[in-house]
Amino acid sequence: MALRSPLLFLSLLLMASLAAAELVVVANPRSGIERLTQEDVTNIYLGRYRHLASGLTAEPVDLAGDAALKVRFYRALVGKNLAEINAYWARLVFSGRTRPPHVAENVEAALHYVAAHPGALAYVDRAQADKRVRIVFELGE
Amino acid sequence: MSGEFIMHSQRWMTMLPLLAALCGGNAWAAGHDEGAAFSVRGFGTLGVARSSSDQAEFARDFSQPGGIKGGQWSGRIDSLLGVQANWRATPELELVGQLVSRYRYDESRVPQVEWAFAKWEPDARAALRAGRIGADFMMLADSRLVGYSSLTVRPSTDFFGPLFFSHFDGADVSLTWPLGGGLLRGKLFAGTTSEKTAMAGGIWDTSGVPVHGLVFDYLDGPWQWRASTASVKFSHDIEIARLLAIELRDFGATAAADALTIAGTTTRYHSLGVVYDAGPLQVQAMLNAIRHEAGYLNHSRAGYLLAGYRLGTVTPYAGVSWWKSSRKSLSTGLPDIPFAVLNQTFDFALSTSVADQTTYTLGARWDVRSNIALKLQWDAVRGSAASVLPFIRVQPGWNGRTDVISAVVDFIF
Repeated sequence: MALRSPLLFLSLLLMASLAAAELVVVANPRSGIERLTQEDVTNIYLGRYRHLASGLTAEPVDLAGDAALKVRFYRALVGKNLAEINAYWARLVFSGRTRPPHVAENVEAALHYVAAHPGALAYVDRAQADKRVRIVFELGE
Repeated sequence: MSGEFIMHSQRWMTMLPLLAALCGGNAWAAGHDEGAAFSVRGFGTLGVARSSSDQAEFARDFSQPGGIKGGQWSGRIDSLLGVQANWRATPELELVGQLVSRYRYDESRVPQVEWAFAKWEPDARAALRAGRIGADFMMLADSRLVGYSSLTVRPSTDFFGPLFFSHFDGADVSLTWPLGGGLLRGKLFAGTTSEKTAMAGGIWDTSGVPVHGLVFDYLDGPWQWRASTASVKFSHDIEIARLLAIELRDFGATAAADALTIAGTTTRYHSLGVVYDAGPLQVQAMLNAIRHEAGYLNHSRAGYLLAGYRLGTVTPYAGVSWWKSSRKSLSTGLPDIPFAVLNQTFDFALSTSVADQTTYTLGARWDVRSNIALKLQWDAVRGSAASVLPFIRVQPGWNGRTDVISAVVDFIF
């Protein structure tokens, strides 16, 4: 289909970029975290450094299996596919170092976990972030 | 095609469906809820390799008593299976045990306890581990057996070959703190070795001796830097050298006899490494220097450079590594008449710790699923005829060159 006007093309581009910005990282409102940087989120999810400024230990939550949201999250965060993320964790787990993230079966379970644990963080679509959690980082895709 | 290869192929065929069943989940992490107090998982490699040279056996590292040669396909050097149990007793305390069956110093595959430790993390910045823990002598050294975690079929033989310790009994403490936009992690470890190794056609008891070391890592975005040092003080001699030393001492060649004595001497391992890992690109560069107080063992330096770029589910990679020893000039001081045989034996003993080679590596890793990877690799070892230390049962006519082709499947469950 040919685009009829440059304006329509531009607005489609804009919509596409808005849709792509919908992936967010949420935290428990009692965590004391207002904002995190991409580096912070990477350090927390890759188990490099989970000490939060508030003194709490961050507890990242991952989605189970090959969930599409999980694939998008790791691609946006570190440019890796799930096989690479698994290989990364195989190295750390089997050398007895850091623990991988807590695994939730679905987004609702992830949100429930974050709401119940002050140090917990999860990634969800912006539309799924409800009053139980606070958005602390937005991922550009 | 050799009979052994056919046997291995058949074994593969029967193992693959089993593997697929074993690795049932679509993603590894799916079945492992870290909130759960107890988890069991594992890793393994099934693989065959062939080395073209008839004159020397290619092995993965010093711990292996035999290797592969003569173009015969064999599953000997790379195939292994590991199982690990983690029990999180409290949020701060975790117990970890790992059993691994692999080709070991005594030619058996009797499973051995690789790790068995308690880990205490009072907060996210500090960790203390005590028990049997991984010998983190060089970057990536404590995950060498987990083929799935790495790009290549096996860790570089030139770089990791001399490192026959995989664990020790003791403790380590690590601290992490933010520094200059990145993270600095320091680790101190100390303990006692608990492994024996294959050496000079026999078994060298390298257990029960003190080991300690210091590691610094700096992590900054896609970059990870590492500097480490470790030392081991041996308490047992290599049998052949010990017997020769007794004879030399009888004839008054005390200095030569002392050079052959390893008991009471220290070996130090220094290394520097950097890994750049961003999106599909992965580059590793490392250097090491191994210094032996024992005169009989030559100092050595090694390094490698490896790069891979992922295209979809396939990651082609290429690397170059080298291992070079510096020869110590030692002699018995005894006249050739009537000691020619003794002098030759002494010179021969010294020549057995010479490494002088470069290895070119080309390969590809195919991530079939998110817990199974297939790898195909070609290593071209190009060394001098004197480079015998990396090989086993070197025969006359060895020219320092061999081509190793490997095909493996790595999995985690």
